[in-house]
Amino acid sequence: MDQEDVLTILKILIIGESNVGKSSILLRFTEDEFCENMQSTVGMDYKTKQITIDGNTVKLAIWDTAGQERFRTLTPSYYRDGQGAILMYDVTDRNTFVKLETWLNELNTYCNRTDIVKMVVGNKIDLPNREVSTEEGLQFARRHQTLYIESSAKTADGVKCCFEELVQKIIQTPGLWDTHSTRLYDNGTMTASRYRSGKRGMQLAANYQSLPVESSSNCYCSLL
Amino acid sequence: MEDDLPTEYDVVVVGTGMTESIVAAAASRIGKKVLHLDSNEYYGGLWATFNFDGLQKWIEDLKTAKNNTRNINVDLEEGEKFLKASDQYSTVENIGETWYISNDADLPDVSWKDTQTESSGDSAAAESAEKTDQDKADKKENVKQWSIDRIKKEYRRFNIDLAPKLLFARGELVELLISSNIARYAEFRAVSRVATYMDGKLTQVPCSRADVFANKTVSVVEKRMLMQLLTSCMEQGADSPEFDGFRDKTFLEYLNTKNLTPIVQHYVVQAIAMATDKTSCRDGVNRTKHFLNSLGRYGNTPFLWPMYGSGELPQCFCRLCAVFGGVYCLKRQLDGVVVNEDKCKAIITGKQRLALEHLVVGQGHLPPEIVASEGENQISRGIFVTDRSIMQGEKESLTLLYYPPEEQGQEPVTLIELGPSTNACPQGLFMVHMTCKRTKNAKEDLAYVVNKFLRAEPLYSTNAVRNLSDSHTQTVSPDKRHLQIDQQEKEESPLEYPLPQVLWSLYLNLPASDIKLSNSAPSNIHLCSGPDLELDFDFAVNQAKSIFESMYPDEDFLPRAPDPEEIVLEGDETPGPKFEGGEPAEGEEKQDVEKAEKEE
Repeated sequence: MDQEDVLTILKILIIGESNVGKSSILLRFTEDEFCENMQSTVGMDYKTKQITIDGNTVKLAIWDTAGQERFRTLTPSYYRDGQGAILMYDVTDRNTFVKLETWLNELNTYCNRTDIVKMVVGNKIDLPNREVSTEEGLQFARRHQTLYIESSAKTADGVKCCFEELVQKIIQTPGLWDTHSTRLYDNGTMTASRYRSGKRGMQLAANYQSLPVESSSNCYCSLL
Repeated sequence: MEDDLPTEYDVVVVGTGMTESIVAAAASRIGKKVLHLDSNEYYGGLWATFNFDGLQKWIEDLKTAKNNTRNINVDLEEGEKFLKASDQYSTVENIGETWYISNDADLPDVSWKDTQTESSGDSAAAESAEKTDQDKADKKENVKQWSIDRIKKEYRRFNIDLAPKLLFARGELVELLISSNIARYAEFRAVSRVATYMDGKLTQVPCSRADVFANKTVSVVEKRMLMQLLTSCMEQGADSPEFDGFRDKTFLEYLNTKNLTPIVQHYVVQAIAMATDKTSCRDGVNRTKHFLNSLGRYGNTPFLWPMYGSGELPQCFCRLCAVFGGVYCLKRQLDGVVVNEDKCKAIITGKQRLALEHLVVGQGHLPPEIVASEGENQISRGIFVTDRSIMQGEKESLTLLYYPPEEQGQEPVTLIELGPSTNACPQGLFMVHMTCKRTKNAKEDLAYVVNKFLRAEPLYSTNAVRNLSDSHTQTVSPDKRHLQIDQQEKEESPLEYPLPQVLWSLYLNLPASDIKLSNSAPSNIHLCSGPDLELDFDFAVNQAKSIFESMYPDEDFLPRAPDPEEIVLEGDETPGPKFEGGEPAEGEEKQDVEKAEKEE
């Protein structure tokens, strides 16, 4: 795959209660598949997909919770360097909507980028027994200044749109990905390394920034 | 709130320290059903990394000692015994936290913003013609002074390690991270300089062959000497006849026979082998070899540091464990174990009895009945937030310094200094970690090194408020305020690089990892140690490997996990969705079927 055309790589997180359809949305989006009797997530780590928005091609690395959300035990490292977050609930299960507040808290605590783009997604709109109205979902999103969409992984309704809007917003927030991509491009071979093998198997952060130096007398160099 | 967990497992792991997490990942990776518990609400136990707020909470929690007297009712079958777990083997002691700066409210009411820009910015500019406008602009943005409030406000920008450790570029952990494909969950930074204290100064140790030959303080003869010595350690190893006469002698005694000059000897002993005069010849040679082996792989030193701190690494293994189906539950205490003769049958946690084949347990959760010796070694730790690096440099550096004892009764101290680009602290600050073996208490054990390299005196009086904010420029021009407050250091020339001012410090003593199980302990209980005194993680990795081998002697230890591109869902073959509902698909949805070729 030619990396030249890819503007940047974005890390997207999906969080929310168990069984709201996090893995299903991910699968629908990346593979266009749907599995009715999906087991709780096993073996699902993250998936990558390339999409083009307004002529910009970006590669998404979309991270699944690996089932660690079950007893609310996601590792802080899961949130590291995320640029977009999908907060998902099940429109037929009010409890999953109520718990969004907690998930948002957790996201704000652990995410090291304050300007991460958040999107609230109400999933399973294909089901008849809805418990959370669109209005309520929208209100929550407005209150927390997030994007909002409703979706069905089963019918694929809103799925593509969800990721597209999220990515569009991220691209419109240059501070969010500029540094990340430059950092990766800086180091030549490190391009896109976060999601493939880095330098000899390990991902190394780019070189240190130079500090302004006012004088070089007395420098240790002279001692070596 | 008690969550109901599934009740049967192949392996239950208690504690999310490094060793526990590696074992959990390894067991899960080969398809074993794993439950991983931790009584804390954070990962890592004594290996954890906290932000500033998290660390404060951790300290508070330690002060309010847990009341572990709740009665546990266990229904036991014939022949079973219940042993209650105790946290007495992971006691943190002598915690001392000190601020050396003021609260905002206590700061002088003068318009320090202006005076600061004038006195430091302009006077420095006058002295340095090269100073650019850009520098000034930077400085103005940074004029805000560090106060207790500001540090607390920026708590998320700190990542403070309880057990800071480096990775040898060819150490056990790096090889494991690569071979298991767990490296993708973490990011690293190469240690940029190995420092040593020689002739009253900190100097950078030449690490590579090129460094050695570019070094101007060492003569050509010395360079040959050094290369020859390093080559014989590297190529022949400790078993070589070269070292035959020194089997029971020290490394120093061996080096003394080589007619090395003091500089060469200093480099080898203090920086490369990180040895004391007690280190055996064998250990010295092995350590030298380990150091040399790891050179030239990543940066210009043999070491890597995990971004966001050492506490990230256990989490990487936990993630892999979860990806392969491991069940995670934090804030869940091990109340005790159910033992039948020489086998542990189950654990009791919350109100649940969970059956297991193997119990892997960190040292903080053991029933006293199965502990043989509590271990004698303890670790002394000091953590310091400072305003500049201990050693001047053109760039921000990640520095390792090994400082051998000055006199009898002191222990060698390992010092790791992290800058903002490791995410250890905000821009303009540095984080210094000191570690040594405990003899008295952390503060006393480390005092001789703290006094040598840091200025750990409070900054109070109005006049003495030093310009902390522009410290990242690492100026070498005379800092008048500094001279004012450091009158006791007046013997130093005005051009001397100033000692870093400590803004905040924390001392603590931790247990080291030499606790032993008794012979009567059930054979399916496997003990994981806490952090050890070594610089790297090799001890934990090796311990995890041997635990795994004793549980599953015929299985692979953490074979490479497939990349997401290589994972194909078996769902492919199922002809569309089923609508019977409820009944889980048999055969466990093998979603990790590997495909040789990548998607791209």
